[in-house]
Amino acid sequence: MILTLLLPERFFMSTINEKLGCSIVGIAGLGGLGSNIAAALARSGIGKLIICDFDKVEESNLNRQYFFIDQLGRFKVDCMIENLCRINPQAKIEGHKIKLDSENIPKIFAGADCIAECFDSVPAKQMIVETVLSKMNCMIVSASGLAGYGKSNEIQTRRVGKRLIIAGDGQRSTDTCKTLTAARIGIVAMHQANAIIELLVDEIKKEVV
Amino acid sequence: MSILKINGLVSSFPEDKMPATIADLLLNLGIDSAAVVAELDGQIIERVKFSTTSLHHGQSIELIRFVPGG
Repeated sequence: MILTLLLPERFFMSTINEKLGCSIVGIAGLGGLGSNIAAALARSGIGKLIICDFDKVEESNLNRQYFFIDQLGRFKVDCMIENLCRINPQAKIEGHKIKLDSENIPKIFAGADCIAECFDSVPAKQMIVETVLSKMNCMIVSASGLAGYGKSNEIQTRRVGKRLIIAGDGQRSTDTCKTLTAARIGIVAMHQANAIIELLVDEIKKEVV
Repeated sequence: MSILKINGLVSSFPEDKMPATIADLLLNLGIDSAAVVAELDGQIIERVKFSTTSLHHGQSIELIRFVPGG
């Protein structure tokens, strides 16, 4: 009974559901962006998620990341798989406890239709966007400008070229605003998740009926 | 005068002030090369090639910048 309620068929028209069901999405980083995007995509019935993070759950993560207090000290990838399976027991998830770099990204995300960039540092963001655009053929949905609180309407989703989308306000960083809030980072994460769903349905899986 | 289209906006440079490479342009603009993905005439230029990629009159360059947080 409960399972039926959770099945995506109840929420999506069957063609949309079919397109999402045959899609593969990579999630690079399971922080405030990645953990929340993973949950949204699992609820949307994405065929397979490839999730990557080398870190463990810390107390300071719990104000914004999709983990729970009884998961402290454990690998984020393991905890995320548990949490996603509680949302959607049918979800197919491939986890990698690895530090992503320009060499392993094309291999780990080889089958992905789209990758969500969910890193916190600028060099890491630069590295994965450059790697995906120069060495791969899939789409990448990145984030820039999500720190602080309020100013919801300054957050936008922008198309930058053929294969790159960037969500965020482009300005507020963890350098200038010292706070990260679940609400504001959550808005950017949902911009990314929503952009990914739109890309999959309207562009990448356009031919799937 | 030499012209470069930077993020869709036309910039003019006197011949002797035209940045020779992507690295020179970023230096002129005060942009940290570690925070940028560059696309020159639709082609992604890897960061390691910024200082060896020449710029020429009439080219279009997109400089995609990131701020920390995630």
